[in-house]
Amino acid sequence: MAVTSLRAARVERRAGVRARPRRESRAAFTMLAPLLVLLAVFVIWPLIHAVYISFFTWSFYDPAVFVGLENYINVVTDEEFVNSVVRGLLFSAMVVPVQVTIAFVFANLVKTVSRRMAAVMKVTIYVPAVISEVIAAIVFALIYTHRGGLLNWFLDFFGIEAIPWLGDTATALPAVAIPAIWIGMGVASLIMLAGLLDIPEAYYECASLDGAGPWTKMFRITLPLMKNVILFLLVTGFAASLQFLILPWLMTQGGPVNSTNLPNLFILQHFNTDLYVGYSIAAALLLFGVLGAVSAVIFRLVRSEKAMDA
Amino acid sequence: MRGALGWIIRYGLAVAIIVAALFPLAWLAVAGFKAKTEVAATPFQFFPEVWRWDNYAQLLADEAFVRALGVTFAGAALFAVLSLVVNALGAYAFARLEFAFKRTIWAIVITTMFIPGIAIMLTSFIVVTELGMLDSMAVLVVPGAASAVQVFFLRQFFLAVPTALEEAAQLDGAGPWRIFRHIFIPLSKGAFVVVGATSFLLFWNSYVWPVLTVTDPELFPIQQYLATFRSERTSEQGLLMAGSTLAALPVIILFLIFQRHIIRGVRLSGLK
Repeated sequence: MAVTSLRAARVERRAGVRARPRRESRAAFTMLAPLLVLLAVFVIWPLIHAVYISFFTWSFYDPAVFVGLENYINVVTDEEFVNSVVRGLLFSAMVVPVQVTIAFVFANLVKTVSRRMAAVMKVTIYVPAVISEVIAAIVFALIYTHRGGLLNWFLDFFGIEAIPWLGDTATALPAVAIPAIWIGMGVASLIMLAGLLDIPEAYYECASLDGAGPWTKMFRITLPLMKNVILFLLVTGFAASLQFLILPWLMTQGGPVNSTNLPNLFILQHFNTDLYVGYSIAAALLLFGVLGAVSAVIFRLVRSEKAMDA
Repeated sequence: MRGALGWIIRYGLAVAIIVAALFPLAWLAVAGFKAKTEVAATPFQFFPEVWRWDNYAQLLADEAFVRALGVTFAGAALFAVLSLVVNALGAYAFARLEFAFKRTIWAIVITTMFIPGIAIMLTSFIVVTELGMLDSMAVLVVPGAASAVQVFFLRQFFLAVPTALEEAAQLDGAGPWRIFRHIFIPLSKGAFVVVGATSFLLFWNSYVWPVLTVTDPELFPIQQYLATFRSERTSEQGLLMAGSTLAALPVIILFLIFQRHIIRGVRLSGLK
């Protein structure tokens, strides 16, 4: 009795497996339909259209004229564009190392402080990450206020004269970098912490038995094993920091004298002032095509088996 | 680092990080209690002369401000639900079902993750213009709902669900829809919270897209309201700070409610 029913189940199951594909395929495409339609209409088509427009002089008012690579040539030979990219790289160089360092210190602290303190730290570090760039811009601009601002008041105790943080070409870019670090440090810290907690405690115990001190452990165990996490944070941090737009837009409008005119803001302002959008689109595609390709390659290298094994 | 000195350094650094994370927000809230002339007064004032609720009260009585909060809240809730449905269904198909061109479609979906917003901003604007979506709730909610990042995250989650459960259900003749509904949805509450909360936050904090597509002040989401307020009513700093505080509060509360899930979600989004 038991044997026959088991066999029956097996036959049924085999039949089920055979009947499955068509039914499954139909269900699959119904389930995918909303996702694929939305991506096609609002992401993929706009991208194709953007690439197309980038080869034309095109405006909302005139018929388009094919110009080949002219827009791209104009972009790469435009000093202002090149400057904004260099400025973006400089901005990244201010943001990313600090962010990753904070994350690394944070992760190591969480491991050593009391359980309750660790819990408080994990929650508070992420609070800035839920705040909008608009509000961050508002509050940091308030802190930087030249006369009557908190920062200058504080520095006054050390005898430092009031500095117009957002009004001076020398200080404006770092002043915009600080809220960028503030917003991004939560995500970086939690990812770093996850990486650190993944290292088996046994490694450290063995090292202690062998007489290794904290520095040896840091350089022989922690850093080598965290290499991938740190690389991941550097790359994603780089990509994210190059795209800051709202902070410089609201805090300085790219000024003074373009000193905070980051790539995205440069492109956006071009959209606003240049009737012929081919140039702006070519600039955006060029910059972020390269950036997107780089992060896609890194992404593939670092987590390839997961991303591509559908 | 052992001993008292090590303890002091560790806890000192820990407190410094906590203060760095929270202080700007505390400062924002304090400034919201200040009178007009006090916010950037010379000489500097740390605390307001008198703690007054006027700014907060005035905003909560201001129809435009409350409407902006309401629009944003409704939009964010709709956006969270829509993106959850769209992305979870897609992720389930990729995680569990077999269909034609699966690898190709997956590659295309994943590729959209790397397309930066600015590159397609103008052409997306053309699309929504041609669809007649400008100045509507739809233009704020629909275009961003499909998200490859979320599909990726949910697929990872679904892949980790043991197949034994659905095999039993398949023997009983359950199809993909029933399996999704009765097995995957109940098992995925944690992941759904992460995705839903992330979408809600994303909508709540969005600024650039609304500025492009919404010109009707009655439809201004809260960030657009604040930025407009800031540029138009420059003398009312206290109000602006109070408004920013009120606009930040809901997402902070949302985060605190779901912090366990969200923190776990962020950690999973790294390398695992």
